[in-house]
Amino acid sequence: MLSYVLAGLALGAVYAVAAGSLVITYVASGVFNLAFAAMAFTVARFYYFLNTEQGWAIPPAAVVSLMIFAPVFGALLYAVLFRHLRLRSTLVKLMATVGLSVALPPLVQLVLGHLTNVTAPALAPRPLAVFHPFGAVLNADQLATYIGLAVVLVVGVGVLRFTEVGLRVRALVDSEALTSLSGTNPGRVSLGVWAVSGTLAGLAGILVAPTSGLSAEGMTYMMSAAFAAVIAARLRSLAVAVVVALTMGVVTDVVQKYLDPSSSFTAAVIPSVPFAFMLVFLLYYAVRGEAGDAVAGGALDRAISPQGGDPSLMRTAAVPQGRISSSSIGTLAVVVVIAVVPAGLDRYWAGLVAAGIAAAIALLSYTLVTGEGAMVWLSQITFAGVGAVVAAELVDRWSWPPLLAVFLGSVLVVPVGVLLGLLTIRLGDLYVALVTLTFGSLVQTLVLTQDPFYDFGSGQPMERPSFAQDNQVFAYLALAVFLLVGLVILNVRRSTAGLAVAAVRWSENGAKTLGISVIQTKVLLSALATYIAALGGGFLAMNFRYTLPDSFHPSLGLVWLAVLVTMGSRSIVAALIAGVVLYVMPGIFASYLPDKFADVPTILFGLGAIGLATHPEGVVAQTGANLARLFTRRPGWAGTAATTLTAPPDPAEAAPHDRSARGEVQQLPTGGQP
Amino acid sequence: MSTDAPLLRVKDLAVRYGSAQALFDVSFDLSPNSALAVLGPNGAGKTTLARTLSGLVPSCGGSAEFAGQDLLKLTAPRVRRAGLLHLPEGRGVFPGLTVQENLRMALTADKQARNPGLERAFEIFPVLAERRRQPAGTLSGGEQQMLSLARALMVSPRLVIADEMSLGLSPKAVDIVFASLARARDNGVSVIMIEQFARRALDFADQGLILHRGRSSWSGPAQEAGEELLHRYLGGAAAA
Repeated sequence: MLSYVLAGLALGAVYAVAAGSLVITYVASGVFNLAFAAMAFTVARFYYFLNTEQGWAIPPAAVVSLMIFAPVFGALLYAVLFRHLRLRSTLVKLMATVGLSVALPPLVQLVLGHLTNVTAPALAPRPLAVFHPFGAVLNADQLATYIGLAVVLVVGVGVLRFTEVGLRVRALVDSEALTSLSGTNPGRVSLGVWAVSGTLAGLAGILVAPTSGLSAEGMTYMMSAAFAAVIAARLRSLAVAVVVALTMGVVTDVVQKYLDPSSSFTAAVIPSVPFAFMLVFLLYYAVRGEAGDAVAGGALDRAISPQGGDPSLMRTAAVPQGRISSSSIGTLAVVVVIAVVPAGLDRYWAGLVAAGIAAAIALLSYTLVTGEGAMVWLSQITFAGVGAVVAAELVDRWSWPPLLAVFLGSVLVVPVGVLLGLLTIRLGDLYVALVTLTFGSLVQTLVLTQDPFYDFGSGQPMERPSFAQDNQVFAYLALAVFLLVGLVILNVRRSTAGLAVAAVRWSENGAKTLGISVIQTKVLLSALATYIAALGGGFLAMNFRYTLPDSFHPSLGLVWLAVLVTMGSRSIVAALIAGVVLYVMPGIFASYLPDKFADVPTILFGLGAIGLATHPEGVVAQTGANLARLFTRRPGWAGTAATTLTAPPDPAEAAPHDRSARGEVQQLPTGGQP
Repeated sequence: MSTDAPLLRVKDLAVRYGSAQALFDVSFDLSPNSALAVLGPNGAGKTTLARTLSGLVPSCGGSAEFAGQDLLKLTAPRVRRAGLLHLPEGRGVFPGLTVQENLRMALTADKQARNPGLERAFEIFPVLAERRRQPAGTLSGGEQQMLSLARALMVSPRLVIADEMSLGLSPKAVDIVFASLARARDNGVSVIMIEQFARRALDFADQGLILHRGRSSWSGPAQEAGEELLHRYLGGAAAA
């Protein structure tokens, strides 16, 4: 028993380092760092490069990796990305860090090489020494993990509590504006926090590598488990995060003593332990009404901070009656191009375009829930996966016609989305994002990757309608359905219900004073978005003729959302472009460029999402606005000057007077008290 | 009123919040060791003026010269280090830090004055010494305002901007606010006072500036601001 506890404490210690780092960076910078796993992987891979590939001894490799490379890396990320995020909306913050987590691992692999064997040493010398305290088994890696956590806690608490630097960090947590009024540069403090965060991420990555593997996936699982401790800590309490992380580690290992290691039940239960912790704490806080959004800074910070920056809150100007807006012309042009393209392509490329259009249907669910409803749901890809499975079951077991199975089967998924919507209705944006991501991971682990649904990765067979066996025809079928769903969304947007959705998006309290039911509005959106996601999943399965459960992994869902938000989260045509780009661009790289560039599209997708930090409205919306501006300069053009009247992408950009000379707090407040 | 070269010279200052302009061409001079009362109804731009001068909000036009430096080119920390201390509207304290830690933060720009500064703060406000280990967020409103004022009194800035320090305080606490700012003036510190109690503020100040919808509607010696003027620009209640 003691051996299980000791092993569990080592696992919990890694969770604790990760959770502690996430909490500290969140409270000090207002950014929940979803790229923590990618940062951990980067530093751990660099350590592996020095230690294993270059033959450096452990101490110099560890010192260079953790004391030089990691802090410089963290500081660099702050300088180029995180410093733009503090006052952005939750969606943009999440998407930018998602973009980083998407782009970083392949970028590192491009530079340092792809590892075929992911087993990696940690900080203990090999061969691994084994100790027997009180008759239990404890290896040197586990001991190193204990020591790592102890050092982090002693140094971290010591610095925060008893030094001038720690005082400034804690002051920054309270109020950035007051900190700067006291003569301290908040930017420098944040830079230091992110440098330390780089070191902590690296330490967690190196320590977890021997057990989880030196891969972005292994690190992502570690980070997801740490989320549970972070939520238990309500994103703020370092002590609670550490205690819950250690408890989770112990529980995860101790339950294995009582379970059959060869059973599929055990295989499902073990990875679910952190998620069960998360669920318990979330329900507890939700019932007590304590899971609202944590607001960065104090009243003064809120007063001088810019509002907006949320792509879903960008204003769009009304188009005068009888005139065709420039965006409508752009939409029509994109649809025509995508409609014409499959006709001239061979089977392979037409198949990729068809897959892209099918994915675009699913992406419209993000357009609805995130773009219209401003709810950061990260589980739409899971609904797509479940939709694919349900449709395949109906076709395979009940011999339903494929199209009927897809359209009616999707209805069966709707209650799941409604239930999730009801559960998360009282939670803040960040909690909703974490819960939906966790829900997706759970469904993936407990359902989609279990037989009979998995079948060695190919999933269940799924037929196409008899008239759409050809890829070109199927592409047109998918495009027709996409346009139909797009029209439904447009009508919803223009209907009374759509007005209610817009009212809730802008101000829940304001909507309530008008007598609008926030719950009813959000549930309506959840239901419709779930249906659309499941519909898209069914079409993807029809396209590939198999359900391919791995293609609905939640981490891919983050890529989906990253590409969509990069293109524009409220634009229907942006969803079409995003879907096609998602499938066609990797095809182009795989067909025409050397293998080593195969990951470049993923890197570009990630970089696109990172770009949201400075251009939150997305590429399509931004380009559309630029084009509209260009055309409206021409005399006689009836276009509506910038059909997409976006709020200033970078609040500071609208401040014409010496903004560069003034610090980060000097951003243009559009909502502050004048 | 001193006739020295101005400590602060603001000329045609303009500030914009997105498409809404909050300040239009506001100009005034402030001599060393003098006080200016900035008055005006809600939304007049008083707080914007304070935040712009202290570097929290960017301007979109005009100039502000403080002791020979172009204020509008400085970041908020640099403004503080140049000797301009802004006591913001509301409770300008770090609620999660203890009283003593709040005072230490206030001294980061004047490290050499740390120990004497702390002693001075505790001497002026003995209640802060009693509560030195208590989180500032758990103090009463009046005590929080004392802590905020202590930031100005424990060091020797050249100019203090006090924004609505008496807001929401009991009459006794308001007296403490005015007495504290008077003490700062006695030590040679210039004061820009943004106040709801217009008559008291004008009695305290040498000069007055009335803002209305972002524009300067009247400025002049404080003693010349008669009741009729205050009623015309501020209304009966504000002129009290």
